[in-house]
Amino acid sequence: MTLKTGLLFRIRATARSLHRHHCCRYHAHHIAEPQGSQLSQLLATYAAHSPHPITLSSLVAFGQPLTPESLLHSVSYVLSEIPRRLARRARALETLPFIVGTNPHMAKTLKAYRDSFQFLATYPRITTLDENARFTAELSQLVESHRNDIPTMAKGFQECAKYMSPAQVSKFLDGAIRNRISVRLIAEQHIALSRALEDRPKSGPTSHYGIVDMACSPAAMIRMCGEFVSELCEATLGAAPTIIIDGHPDTTFAYVPVHLEYILTEILKNAFRATVEHHYTQFGNHSTRTLPPITVTISPPPSPCSPFLSFRVRDQGGGVSPSNMARIFSYAFTTAGHSNPDDDTDGGGPYAAQHVGGSAAVGEGTSGGEGNLFGEITGKGLQVGLGTIAGLGYGLPMSRLYARYFGGSLDLFSLDGWGSDVFVKLRSVDQAGNAEI
Amino acid sequence: MSWQAYSFLTKNHPKATRPTGDVRWSAISALHFYQNRQLELYASKEARRLSLRQLVFFGRHMNEERLIKSANYVRTELPIRIAHRIRDLQALPYVIVTQPEIAKVYELYWSAFDKFRRFPEINNLSDNRKFCDLLETLLDEHAPVIPNLSLGLSLCSPHVPPDSLDSFMRRMLISRISRRVLAEHHLALSKSLGRHSLNSEDPRVGIIFTGLDVKHSVVKCARLLRSRSHGIEDDNGEVIPNKGWPEVVVEGQLDTTFAYIREHLEYILFELLKNAMRATGLKHRHNTTLPPIHATIVAGKDDVSIRITDQGGGLYSTGIQSPSDLFSFSHVRNATRMDDSRIGALRSASSRGVKATVAEQVGGWQVMEEHGGSNAKDPERRAGIAPHQRMGLGLPMSNIFATYFGGSLQLVSLDGWGTDAYLQLPKLGTNLEGIEF
Repeated sequence: MTLKTGLLFRIRATARSLHRHHCCRYHAHHIAEPQGSQLSQLLATYAAHSPHPITLSSLVAFGQPLTPESLLHSVSYVLSEIPRRLARRARALETLPFIVGTNPHMAKTLKAYRDSFQFLATYPRITTLDENARFTAELSQLVESHRNDIPTMAKGFQECAKYMSPAQVSKFLDGAIRNRISVRLIAEQHIALSRALEDRPKSGPTSHYGIVDMACSPAAMIRMCGEFVSELCEATLGAAPTIIIDGHPDTTFAYVPVHLEYILTEILKNAFRATVEHHYTQFGNHSTRTLPPITVTISPPPSPCSPFLSFRVRDQGGGVSPSNMARIFSYAFTTAGHSNPDDDTDGGGPYAAQHVGGSAAVGEGTSGGEGNLFGEITGKGLQVGLGTIAGLGYGLPMSRLYARYFGGSLDLFSLDGWGSDVFVKLRSVDQAGNAEI
Repeated sequence: MSWQAYSFLTKNHPKATRPTGDVRWSAISALHFYQNRQLELYASKEARRLSLRQLVFFGRHMNEERLIKSANYVRTELPIRIAHRIRDLQALPYVIVTQPEIAKVYELYWSAFDKFRRFPEINNLSDNRKFCDLLETLLDEHAPVIPNLSLGLSLCSPHVPPDSLDSFMRRMLISRISRRVLAEHHLALSKSLGRHSLNSEDPRVGIIFTGLDVKHSVVKCARLLRSRSHGIEDDNGEVIPNKGWPEVVVEGQLDTTFAYIREHLEYILFELLKNAMRATGLKHRHNTTLPPIHATIVAGKDDVSIRITDQGGGLYSTGIQSPSDLFSFSHVRNATRMDDSRIGALRSASSRGVKATVAEQVGGWQVMEEHGGSNAKDPERRAGIAPHQRMGLGLPMSNIFATYFGGSLQLVSLDGWGTDAYLQLPKLGTNLEGIEF
């Protein structure tokens, strides 16, 4: 037995001693709460070991070929790697200043991480497909329950603005979001593979390997997100511009479609809103003039040495003022606490919405603060791609994190008074074999 | 024999060959070292930076008294600025300044410094005329500075870290621009004294056009570039015959005007459009029509912005990491700096000199086309069909021109498709010159 497996056995032994019921469901049948200190000890053990750097290619490999055996390997990966990452997150929260930790939103998030960690770390080994199916359903619920983590924390940070600097908060949130992306990748890859194995006799050949689509079409995605955003925009603002796709619309590449969907939706929301508002400002709310279109230009990777697909989203939404340019990638909390209308005497334009706190996101069913136009949207219960984090003040910084996740980039250039250009470069993940998750 | 005496004797002799290496330098070094006290006197003074507004304001109500004042300001300010740059040169490694190209620049600077500091105070218009003659002579004499400096530094690039090299070049070139602005502004003011200086057709004060029409400049540069009859030489030396140049479509706020130095704006536009046209022609060499270039003009609150979009395939290349490397003089950042063709082109330019103006380039084509470029070696060049050799100065110089009064130039590439250049120039005229002291 190697040192590593020996350690694993010891961890599992501790875990088993905490786990009372063999097939206990997370929400019910809990016979006895594990001792707080035992849980903390377990957390500490997991947090002490850095997560194994997982590469996307190894995740994808579980599906090549997809067999019951490879699926069980996948699930054991999930059960060892996700707890490690959750433990790190919990540890990160626990090392925040005490006063911050007592904030109810932060405390709530910490509890959520601890609970999820405990569930996964104490889950018994899975040896059959049935057990996997049960587990996968629970895993799905678990992931879903963490939907509001980021907005919750952001709200907490907003309330703690006097105890932490914006830079510290940004750093923390960056780490939290990256971590969240990793956890979801690992979890959702497994969930997708499980489904794929179940559905296999029925479905035909596909370009999908779990959550990776080897032939992801940006143009198709733009059309899809465009339709959604268009409806949203019509519903809230009364009009919506059209999208023109040019460049090489037939380009496809290997990517995680749900990431691309998120990025596109955020960017298009900004562009649509900017276009309509700027138009109204110039020509009045009842103008019948045509709205200037949004142009998305797609360019395939120029060479195997540079496996990046690029696209540019160009709008005529009035651009970003120089004073706002420095702030558009921030996470929307300032020492001022709430969006100060006096700050943006020029209205700040659509990107000023980034400065409104995440209150709308966090409210259980409330439609959020006054200044937050998208509060209305979430109030209507519409979800976007990866959950309610979307579009509620963090669109740009989060899109950028997503773009950078596999080594890509996102940049915004503005012609103040005219419009903005967002440049996104995404790395084709079949070439990113070594990109760590 | 004193250095000045030696220099005087050899300067105008038609066959004066530059003695290489040790003899000349050992003759001057001791004398030169001890003479440095004069230089230090001037170098210890701070340069008095001006803003565009101040230049305009001062020049608006010209009379003899103010002109004399201007002359004395220029007379005392220029040697201070030159002294700073000579000190900069003196701080470079010995082995670099003894390189023939840099040595030549050093000599030119010393000679200019000496002439200015010996020039007596200006008391009347006749003195001013003599001073203006000196200015004109020096402006001409210093034409070789840019190519010599670029060539010398490119050759020294392996010995100087990229950051130091680029910042040195930037200080040299921006100071040079500033001295030319002062000199040319004064010359223009001198010429216009007595005449009605505000021509309502094209209002200007000295070299500053107070109602510079941006669209007009864009259209002018486009027209000049499109009138070229020569073809395009690609990076492998193959010449693509001329089949017309792409159209430049101008959009945005077409009536934008502001106060600026027209020569600077037009140089930058010219270079950017030239690059865009070349890239487009190369990328679409097998197509019958060339996609147009779009120039968008916008007046923001504090800036005038011009975005130039082309479909020339973008800036991806193995020689650079990012588009901003194209502004660098270091071969570490931009591998093409050491290309034989670049070095060769700089060498031939270093004898005739480079002033970095549009007029100079256009004049050059006309000469080539009229006289068939009889000095050229190959028949195509002689016939005026082949393009002139590329020195690689356009982008770095444009960048420095742009930042002179606090503006900016950014290049963004949609790899595989095209490039966007964002030029921002301040329009209020309140920024001070960006020279360092």
